Amino acid sequence: MSERTRRGRAMRWGVPVAAIAVVAGALGAGPVIAAVQGEPALPERTAEQLLADATKATRADVKPMSGTVIQTASLGLPGLPEVAGMGGTSPAALLAGSHELKVWYGGEGRVRLALPGRMSETDLIANGNQVWLWESDANKATRIKGADARQGAGPEKALPTAATPQLTAAEVLRRAQADTVVEVTNTERVADRPAYQLVLKPKDGASLIREVKLALDGETFVPLRVQVYARSAAEPAFEIGFTSVTFTPPAAENFTFTPPAGAKVEERTFGARDQESGAEHDRAEGLRETIKTVGEGWTSVAVLPFSEKDLKAGLSQGRGGGQSDGQGSGQGGGQGDGRGGQDANAIVDALLKSAKPVSGAWGNGRVVQTKLVSALLTDDGRLLVGAVTPEKLAEAAGRR
Amino acid sequence: MSTVSGREVAVSGAGSAAERRPEAARGGGSAPGARAVSAPAALLRLLGSEIGLTFRRPRNIAMLAVLAVVPVLIGVALRAFGGPDDNDGGGPAIFTQVTGNGLFLTFAALSVLVQLMLPVAVAVVAGDSVAGEAGIGTLRYLLVAPAGRTRLLAVKYANAAVFCLAAVTVVALSALLAGLLLFPAGPITLLSGGTIPLFDGLLRIGLVVLYVAAGMAALAAVALALSTLTEVAVGAIASTVVLVIVTQVLGVIPQLSGLQPYLLTHWWSGFDGVLRDPIATGDMGQGLLVFAAYAVVFGSIAWARFTGKDVTS
Repeated sequence: MSERTRRGRAMRWGVPVAAIAVVAGALGAGPVIAAVQGEPALPERTAEQLLADATKATRADVKPMSGTVIQTASLGLPGLPEVAGMGGTSPAALLAGSHELKVWYGGEGRVRLALPGRMSETDLIANGNQVWLWESDANKATRIKGADARQGAGPEKALPTAATPQLTAAEVLRRAQADTVVEVTNTERVADRPAYQLVLKPKDGASLIREVKLALDGETFVPLRVQVYARSAAEPAFEIGFTSVTFTPPAAENFTFTPPAGAKVEERTFGARDQESGAEHDRAEGLRETIKTVGEGWTSVAVLPFSEKDLKAGLSQGRGGGQSDGQGSGQGGGQGDGRGGQDANAIVDALLKSAKPVSGAWGNGRVVQTKLVSALLTDDGRLLVGAVTPEKLAEAAGRR
Repeated sequence: MSTVSGREVAVSGAGSAAERRPEAARGGGSAPGARAVSAPAALLRLLGSEIGLTFRRPRNIAMLAVLAVVPVLIGVALRAFGGPDDNDGGGPAIFTQVTGNGLFLTFAALSVLVQLMLPVAVAVVAGDSVAGEAGIGTLRYLLVAPAGRTRLLAVKYANAAVFCLAAVTVVALSALLAGLLLFPAGPITLLSGGTIPLFDGLLRIGLVVLYVAAGMAALAAVALALSTLTEVAVGAIASTVVLVIVTQVLGVIPQLSGLQPYLLTHWWSGFDGVLRDPIATGDMGQGLLVFAAYAVVFGSIAWARFTGKDVTS
C-alpha cells in the first residue's frame, strides 16, 4: 500500500468524524446558544417590583397563548412500582419521570389542555361553561357540569396534573413570607424567551426544600417555569415549565369539542362526584376538617387522624394520591377513577414496605422519607406529613 | 471493452451469480455507450437496474408478502375475537379503535410491524447490498463500470430507501384494504377527540407512511455501513437486527429513560403525532431530525469505508 493511499484513507475517515462532530454540535448547540443569548437583556428589578408585576399579571387577564409544558418529577419515592407501564396518561405515572402537556389558552375562559401519551391522549377542553374531559384510551368523553372556566381556574384543577405554571406559581407566591430568602436574577431564558427568575430559599434548616425557583416571562410576567430543589440533590426534584410558548391567540377549533360518534359520553358534576361515592366524599370532607397543622411556613406539618386501613380506603376512592409532593396539595383534585386508585394503592404499599420503624417519647411509628416530603405514621393512629426532616416530624408528633 | 467483456464472461461463468446479476451485466455491456450519456442518466439507469434486481429477488418478494399478510391477520383476529376492550384485556387503545373504524388498522399494523418485522426486512436488503455482492464475487465487476464508488454507494443506498418506502407502503395498503373490507369506514376520530373526513384520514396515512419510511431509511444507512465492513452478508444483516433489538431493550429500561431521545427505535413509532389535532409537528420533526442524523453519520461511515477499502472479491 502506498503512502498516498494510506493518507487518503485516513482523510476519508475524517468525514464521518466530522459528521459525528456536527451532530454532537447540533445536540449541544441549544444550551450554548441559550447561554450566549443569556446576556442580561432585561432591566433589573427588585424582588418586590417583580412580585408586584407578577401579581398584577396574575390578576389581570392573561394574554392568549399556547405552548408545551414539560413536567419532571424525581421525588425519590422509595421502591416505586412500575407505574410507567400503566400508560403515559395515568395520573400516578406523573409521579415519576417526565411528562408533556400541551396548553392552549384563548382568553375568556377558553382553555385546552392535552396530555399526549403513546397512541393516546387525554384532553380537557373548557369553553365558558362547556367543560369536556376526553380520554382517547377509554374512548370516553365526560362533560363536567358546574365548572365554569370564567370563575377562575376551576377546570384546570380538574385535570390530572392540576398544575399549570400559573397555578403552581400562585401557590409559591403565597408562601413567600418572612421565613424566606428571596433573590431575583434577570439572565434566565425559558422556552427561548428572556425571563426573570425568583429564587426562594427557606431559612429553616429543617426544611427538605433547598430552594424554589420561579421563572417569569420578561415581557408578560406569565410564570414560565417552577423548579423545586431538594436539599439532597443537585437536579430539581420537581419541575414544571414551558419548553415552547407563543403569545398569539390559538385557533378557535381548539376550544370546541363535540363527542365523536361511538364514544361513551358521561356527565359528572364538578366537586360532588357520582352518587355512589357521595357518602365517602362526605367522610373525606369530615377528615379534612380534622387535619391540624403544627408549625408555620416551610416547616409546617400536617397531622391527620389516619390508620393504614383508612389511608388505603381513602386512596382507592381517589382522593388525590398523586398530590403528596407538597406542591399544590391544597388544590389536590382527585381523579376518582378506579385505575388511579389502584395505582395509588400500589404506591402506598411500596411506601409502607420501605417505611423505617422509629420510636420516641411520643410513641412508636414508621417513617417514610422522600426527597421533598417525609411522612410519619404513628401506632396511635396519626399521620404526620411535611416537607421537613423526620426529626422535625417526631418533634411535631410529641406536641399534641 | 475488454474489461467489460471480461466481466460478462466471469458473470456468466459463475452460474448462480449470472442469474443474480443479469441486469447489471447488460448495463455493464452498454457501459462504453454510457460515457456518451449524461452522468445523471447513467446513474438513474444503474439505480433502475438495482431496483429491478431488488424487487425480482424471490427472497425480497417473500418478505414483502409476509409484511402484507400480517395486517390482514391482525384484522381477521380483531374481527373474529373482538377488540381487546371486549375481554377487558386493556391492550393498546389503538386496537379497540380498529373495530370502530377500519382505517385505524393501518396505524395499528404499522405500530406493530415497525417494532421488528419492517426493520428486519430493511436490514436484509440494505445489509446485503454491498456485502452480498462482495460475498458472491460480483462487487469488483460492478466497480469496473465507470460509475465510481461514491456513486455506486449512493445508488445502493437509494435502492435500499426505495425498498423501505415500498415495504411500508405494502403494509399500509394491505392494512387499508383489510380494514375497509372487514370493518366499517367513515370519518376518523383523532386521539384529541376531533373528527376528520375520510379523505383527510387517507392523507394523514400518507404522512405516516412517509415518516415510517424515513425511519426505516435511517436504519438502512446503519445496515449499509455494516455491510461495507464485511464480505459476509449474513453478518451485516444479523448485526443490524441485533443492534435494533439491543436498542429496543435499552429503550424500555426505566433507569435508562434519559437515553431514549437518542435511540433510533424510540422515534419509529412516533407517528401518532398525525393523529392529534393540530398535528404534533414538533415531535415528528424531531424524529425526522434524528433519522437524518443517523443517516448522515452512518452514511458517511459507509462512504469512508467503501471508498477506501481494497476490493478483492
